[in-house]
Amino acid sequence: MNGTDRPPGARALILNGIFAENPVFRLALSLCPAVAVTTTVANGFILGFAVLFVQVLSSVTVALTKNFIHPRVRIPAYTIIIALWVSTIDMILAAYFPVLYSQVGLYVKLIVAFAIIISRLEYFASRNPLVPSFWDAFGMGMGFLLALVAIGAMREVLGAGTLLGFTLVKNKPLLFFALPAGGFFSIALLMAFFNWIEIRGGGKPSSGGGAHG
Amino acid sequence: MSDLVNIEGAPRPKIDRREIVRVAINLAVICAVTAVVLGGVYLVTERVAQAARLAREKQAISGMLALPPGASVLEVSQFLVPDKAEVLYRARPYGDEKATPRDVAFSFTGQPRDAAAAAASERLVPLGRLFVASVNGSLAGFVVEGDTRGYKAVIRFFVALDSAFVVQGVKVIQHEEDPGLGAEVATGWFQAQFVGRDAAEIANLDVTKDPMPEDWRAALRTYATETPGEWREQNAGLIRRERDRPIYAVTGATISSRALTRGVRTTVDHFRRRWALLATRLGESS
Repeated sequence: MNGTDRPPGARALILNGIFAENPVFRLALSLCPAVAVTTTVANGFILGFAVLFVQVLSSVTVALTKNFIHPRVRIPAYTIIIALWVSTIDMILAAYFPVLYSQVGLYVKLIVAFAIIISRLEYFASRNPLVPSFWDAFGMGMGFLLALVAIGAMREVLGAGTLLGFTLVKNKPLLFFALPAGGFFSIALLMAFFNWIEIRGGGKPSSGGGAHG
Repeated sequence: MSDLVNIEGAPRPKIDRREIVRVAINLAVICAVTAVVLGGVYLVTERVAQAARLAREKQAISGMLALPPGASVLEVSQFLVPDKAEVLYRARPYGDEKATPRDVAFSFTGQPRDAAAAAASERLVPLGRLFVASVNGSLAGFVVEGDTRGYKAVIRFFVALDSAFVVQGVKVIQHEEDPGLGAEVATGWFQAQFVGRDAAEIANLDVTKDPMPEDWRAALRTYATETPGEWREQNAGLIRRERDRPIYAVTGATISSRALTRGVRTTVDHFRRRWALLATRLGESS
């Protein structure tokens, strides 16, 4: 991707983030937090929402200010921009959603180090104008959010027998899925599922992390 | 040695001083703008966060002591005054920041000092807070704030005591222990283990890694902080049996369990000695 290409439209960019280059299932980025918080749907949703917020605002900020950032210090500058929006959402969640924050607050601060966010700044927002950067960030954020919700749903149902806190089955069917190792298995199973759909649809299976080879 | 000479003689990379300055200024400006934005967000959210914290704290206090709606709560903040080697207690109605506080001061050995001279210019080191609840003028109980070194960071907690220093409840209000392990000390079942123990039993309280009896575990699981009184009545027999036994540690989190137990033990002990001094002097004011 280089700056002279005409960037694709909003629809293509959003679908790209959710399916073709889904951050978790296709690019295999930020798997550690994806495992850590997805013991329930609600936790996955909150962290996914925080990532969406940070990704969109960081990409927009970089797209707007890229001409002012000295190329030699662009990575530290991007990190500061990400940290700015992470701190903002952190303070907003702490103030307005204290109960949810008490469960995921620790992980929200870690968004600063999420590979997916800085890679979108480096590969897309710093080379494209504002509007495509916004849609790319929105697509990537939605892709991450939906992935966390899917993993969270799978682990909550299998590990705790509940969904969104409502009891589906009385016992805990497969407690293993609530544990970290089960998180990796959940991601692997969902990744395989995504590849299967892709192959059935006539596409090629993902090579994982291929976008930044 | 000839290698070293070669390195010495190698041409040094050219350093463009203006480039360095430009890069430094660029980063400094980015940081400054970020700081301003963050400061603005902080100013807006901190007021809301403060109000939410206060509301949760109030709920925790009245819940643990099962206070009726008309109860009045006095907040007493403890400070160290290093310049005068004094301990200062500043009391005001809880949640009313504008009320004129009443100050009581002691020397380190417990001798009363004249607190009227405590000027605003003095350096005060906060040492913690305690809350004194009363219903219709008679003492209903205390909530004492304490902290202890947990496995990862400081664990802050409230200990609720009745007027005879029997523990009415323990509630962790801030911690950064591991979810699923150390964080279990902040759950109802673990904190319920402290309920009903008197000051002498707390002073000798220890932690055991022995397995918890199943009937006690089942009883603790039903503990709800909203109705501590009912829970104590229903499980009076079990509480009587367990109150001189140690606290059962969370499996895999013995350090966090020990930390909270030690914290409760020292907090209750310190508070009893402090209250012996404070009770009469605070009474003079009202």
